[in-house]
Amino acid sequence: MRIWTIVLLGATGAVHGADSGSQSEAFAWLKKMANASRQQNYSGTIVYQFGNQVETSRVVHFVNSAGGEFEKLEALDGPPREVVRSNEQVICYLPTAKTVLIEERSRNARNFPALVPESMNGLSDSYQIRKEEVDRVAGYDCQWIALAPRDNLRYGRRFCAELGSALPLRAHTVNDKGEPIESFAFTELTLGGNFSRDKVKSKYAEMSRAQNWRIDRSALSMAPSTPADTGWVLTSQLPGFKKLMEAKRSLVGKTGAISQIVLSDGLAAVSIFIEPMPRVQAAQALSHQGAVNIYKRPYGNHVVTVLGEAPAATIMQIGNSLELRPTTAAVQ
Amino acid sequence: MDAISALMDGELDEPQAQREVVRLKSDAELRERWDSFHLIGDAMRGQGLLSSGFAESLSKRLQEEPTVLAPRRSTRQARRVTYALSAAASLCAVAFVGWVALSPTVPGALQAGVTPGSGVVATPASASMASVSSEGHMNEYLLAHQGFSPSTAIQGLAPYMRSVSATRAPEGR
Repeated sequence: MRIWTIVLLGATGAVHGADSGSQSEAFAWLKKMANASRQQNYSGTIVYQFGNQVETSRVVHFVNSAGGEFEKLEALDGPPREVVRSNEQVICYLPTAKTVLIEERSRNARNFPALVPESMNGLSDSYQIRKEEVDRVAGYDCQWIALAPRDNLRYGRRFCAELGSALPLRAHTVNDKGEPIESFAFTELTLGGNFSRDKVKSKYAEMSRAQNWRIDRSALSMAPSTPADTGWVLTSQLPGFKKLMEAKRSLVGKTGAISQIVLSDGLAAVSIFIEPMPRVQAAQALSHQGAVNIYKRPYGNHVVTVLGEAPAATIMQIGNSLELRPTTAAVQ
Repeated sequence: MDAISALMDGELDEPQAQREVVRLKSDAELRERWDSFHLIGDAMRGQGLLSSGFAESLSKRLQEEPTVLAPRRSTRQARRVTYALSAAASLCAVAFVGWVALSPTVPGALQAGVTPGSGVVATPASASMASVSSEGHMNEYLLAHQGFSPSTAIQGLAPYMRSVSATRAPEGR
């Protein structure tokens, strides 16, 4: 923890733009990392740490000959859980609850929003990006890339990218005091390998069908060129955060369409969900899961839920600045 | 029995809930059942926390504690925490003490202090809210959000650990 503080102090203490060479190099590393996560074949063990909790999981990622992307995450600690992603679909298998959670996006929403590297243009307004030392993780040499926030609206990030493939081997999120609040790290990794269906298939796939597990489906179908107007607006804009998308969608356990608006500063994203007030009135509440803070707030006949990997104050500010556009409000 | 589980799930309206709370207060057997329901819920979420009869033995031990005649510290912090909890939880005040003591450090807890001059205006009423662990209650939102995060794009599937961090069937049915 002490090392962390020193590193971050060093990063924030540097003069803005003094080391542009290092900054553009660090930028290039970030792009390479995002590409590596999509294109590399690998299998390994990841340790996820937040607060006092540690969870180990097995991850595999393979690209087939047609360029299709397949990933599987299997929790090794606690109750068994598996997450499988194939292109535009994410499926969570929760055997203890005999439930399958599915998050789907239509094909035309697949590559939307164009995340990294296009959205990196505005990144340097919000973060100071630096290339730091070379380290060693899970037996591989890796390059540390640090993103120190320029204000207290966002968290700091550090990634250590494998020197050859640029696959991120370690990722940390730190608060404004330089304390780590969440981290991911490979403890064992095999780079390469060939795609096979079995490697990326959940061991619960057949069982869930045979035993008729409950299937809970959430879906977002939208054409990126025609974003929906939900009628909700943000009355104040937080520096660096731009609207990435706005859509009507379905969500597990909610009846009817609900609205989702996503904001991002190029690294962190914040989602706003607006749904009709349930029968049991929702109260204002703040919660968290790892580096993600979650703020719920009643608004007239609606409940607003704001969440994202940003400090609680940021999440709450966004939630509190949301309003129904007057014309829309008059209609409703 | 059904009313108790409905109370636990927050499905009762206020008069019904109050009636059940009164029943809980006066009926030891019902209280034991209430504890068991919570234990089952915790076990299902993979959180083995307190043994059954914990509330009873703790309250007995608290009664045996000598009364300290000294000025009390402000209890404002504790009240902030209860704000986010259901009415049912506050009746189990004793169990609640245990919950606070055993809950892990709260990384997202909001410190009211927002650096002046940053253009950030804190909302005073909400700036004092405490953050509790989502305990899997927000998984469906997390799952719907993750795919849009650039940092998820950098890290691949690993951040989805958050969406399945605690096994719990989604609400609403």
